[in-house]
Amino acid sequence: MAEDFKVIVFTLAHEEYGIEVDKVRTIERMTPVTRVPKTPVFVKGVINLRGVVVPVIDLRSRFGLPESEPTENSRIIIVAANELEVGFIVDSANDVIDLNTDMVENPPEVVGGIKAKYLSGVAKFGENRLLILLNLSEVLNRSEIIQLEQFGA
Amino acid sequence: MEMNQYLSIFIDEANEHLQSLNENMLRLEQQPEDISIVQIIFRSAHTLKGMSASMGFEDLASLTHEMENVLDLVRNDKLKMNGHIFDTLFKCLDSLEGMVQDVVGGGTGSADVKELVSQLKQIVKGEPAAPASAGQAAIASGSSELAMVATHLLLDQYQLSVLRQSIENGSPAFHIEVTIREDCLLKGVRAYMVFDALERNGELVKSHPSVQDIEQEQFGHQFSVYYISRIPQQELQDTLDKISELESVSVVPLDLESLSELDESRSAEQQMQEAAQQAAATATATSPAAAAADKPASSEAPARAPAAAPVANKTIRVDIERLDSLMNLFSELLIDRVRLEQLASEVRRNDLTETVEHMARVSSDLQNIVLKLRMVPVDSVFNRFPRMVRDLAKSLGKKLDLVITGAETELDRTVIDEIGDPLVHLIRNSVDHGVETIEGRREAGKPETGVVNLRAFHSGNHVFIEIEDDGRGINQPKVLDIAVKKGIVSPDEAKKLSDDEINMLLFAPGFSTADKISDISGRGVGLDVVRSKIESLGGVVSVTSKAGQGSKWSIQLPLTLSIITAMLVKLGSEKFAIPLSSIVETGIVQRSAIRDLHGAKVIEYRKSIIPVLSLAAVLDSPDYSEENEQETEMLVIRKGEKLAAVLVDELIGQSEIVLKTLGKYLTNLDVISGATILGDGQVALIVDPNALIK
Repeated sequence: MAEDFKVIVFTLAHEEYGIEVDKVRTIERMTPVTRVPKTPVFVKGVINLRGVVVPVIDLRSRFGLPESEPTENSRIIIVAANELEVGFIVDSANDVIDLNTDMVENPPEVVGGIKAKYLSGVAKFGENRLLILLNLSEVLNRSEIIQLEQFGA
Repeated sequence: MEMNQYLSIFIDEANEHLQSLNENMLRLEQQPEDISIVQIIFRSAHTLKGMSASMGFEDLASLTHEMENVLDLVRNDKLKMNGHIFDTLFKCLDSLEGMVQDVVGGGTGSADVKELVSQLKQIVKGEPAAPASAGQAAIASGSSELAMVATHLLLDQYQLSVLRQSIENGSPAFHIEVTIREDCLLKGVRAYMVFDALERNGELVKSHPSVQDIEQEQFGHQFSVYYISRIPQQELQDTLDKISELESVSVVPLDLESLSELDESRSAEQQMQEAAQQAAATATATSPAAAAADKPASSEAPARAPAAAPVANKTIRVDIERLDSLMNLFSELLIDRVRLEQLASEVRRNDLTETVEHMARVSSDLQNIVLKLRMVPVDSVFNRFPRMVRDLAKSLGKKLDLVITGAETELDRTVIDEIGDPLVHLIRNSVDHGVETIEGRREAGKPETGVVNLRAFHSGNHVFIEIEDDGRGINQPKVLDIAVKKGIVSPDEAKKLSDDEINMLLFAPGFSTADKISDISGRGVGLDVVRSKIESLGGVVSVTSKAGQGSKWSIQLPLTLSIITAMLVKLGSEKFAIPLSSIVETGIVQRSAIRDLHGAKVIEYRKSIIPVLSLAAVLDSPDYSEENEQETEMLVIRKGEKLAAVLVDELIGQSEIVLKTLGKYLTNLDVISGATILGDGQVALIVDPNALIK
């Protein structure tokens, strides 16, 4: 039985990505980020989200894409998963669409330079648009950070 | 039936009543003659019984019921408290506590209470148990008005002599009988107005029913008082007549003659009562006075009792998470306030500036309240210790007084929740190892009863809790001996240790000095756990001791875990906060004063050499380095005995900061212990000075 679900659409390096709407807390404009020393490069630091300190990571850098300067369109998407609350810096976030599980296919090995394990599928919709769905628990997987920490030390 | 919503209320209240029972039983043990304490205990037990029965906890209800029976006899002077009764009642309290705990854990609150119930029943039977009310009622019927008054208004020797003296001194004494109209809705309030008028003009000697019962509207429509007046009879009558909704007020002057009559009727009453008891008078009294006599016990309480009764605080229970979110929202507000103030100073419009200033004042008041909301008196932890010490002392065959001071000192709720276990451990330690046995104390020329002082007090931004005993003190040679044997220190090191350092060995993991292992303390685990617990709360524990005179354990705790005073420092474009508690001094160091010693940088500080750290290097500062400065600001920080100088770009100043965690995603950050939000809304990281000194 196919199920309907909503996703937030955002862009990274001209590709469109999606996160299920129920994982997203809010979407914020860029705010000043405080650097946290001794963290992996993709951890940009922490922000003040209405009195709560939330870590933000740069998704471009997390996926090994070239980093870019924030623009007017840059957004921080605050997601909550695995009991963690983390902000993703993305190039832009501007749409919410309805998807059906029937439209989702398993991701190929590499999409737009991103390893398949970070992705939960690829959805075709509209006129030949492709939407890459993120596997949040893998993106937020801390074991990788711990490995990086050990490597750095 | 949906009981769950009531269950949490039941548990909370049951715990409160148990606590009050425990406390008052201990007080009663100290002053067994004070019937007013028995009254309080009785009321608590009674309420507990009612609550348990309505929640369906039969065992709880039946045990409290039997306790009530015993207490009823005690408060009616039919039974004298003795050691056996105390022990039995304390056992009952333990059993009740166990049952309530069972309910907390989701159980049915049932327990085998048969033995305790039968013990209580024996206590009740062991004394002549003729009901007092029957005897009194029997005498009351058919007597003259004054005699009838006398039966339910028996004055004791003390009250009689007070009245007699005042009459002899010329102040008039009266017997006043007030009847309130049947249709009066708030008779308690009317009665209160009467008492208020009376208390303004003289002194109440005795009232029937008791003032407390009257205030709670537990009386018919009539009450009477013995009263010493400062104003003449007519004036008194006029004053009382002014109170509306009173049916009648009769003021009868008392003279020495009527007093001695009262005295006689009192002794007659006693004789009659004894006779009645011997005859085992039937309990079912149907005389007209029975209604008036149904609360003879309350009338036994002297009129002064209500004043001594503790005034219950009006409180509500709030989930601590709500307080946390209130805190968060409030810190948001603070940030906006700073921004507003900034804007107002730019815009320069008077009415705007005034409004913003007013808001600033209101919000700083609000800040005080919000911060205080989380503060709880340490009493909520201390209150279980008197009972614990009593039991410990009994089981160890020692005599002990626990003296608590400063129980009203307030601490952050999170600290309160955590501090209980360490304190239990330290107190047990003092009772078990510190205070000597009775013989030991006699030999040492000390009073048989040992004293353990438990003190709490504020000092600066800290709360201190001290546990001091007058026992034998710490046996330092023995401590050293064991420390060397267990490999905690090497024999060479041991020789160099100062007295304080030897004492601190007690907190080393795996240390125990007790000759024999008791079930109270001395299992070898403990003091190290105490220390790590207290340190995890941001506190410090230490001990001082004098051989033969006792030892003092001192715990220093931060006032709150959520707000600390910190020094804000700047490294280029970045700001960091360093807790003020570990900063010894700030200053300026010349580049030339920094020397190389075996590859490490050091400076001379107050005649000693201390290491120099570059905060910029530790934190990988992207846009600052002190390398090219001639003189640099420095902070001297301390961890235990060790000092270090930390070089920074600029000192911004000290400020109260609200602690925030960095969340679960970023952990193991080593030098960063948390974050805070500054006035401009930016996040600043908090540097952990303990991690800087290795």
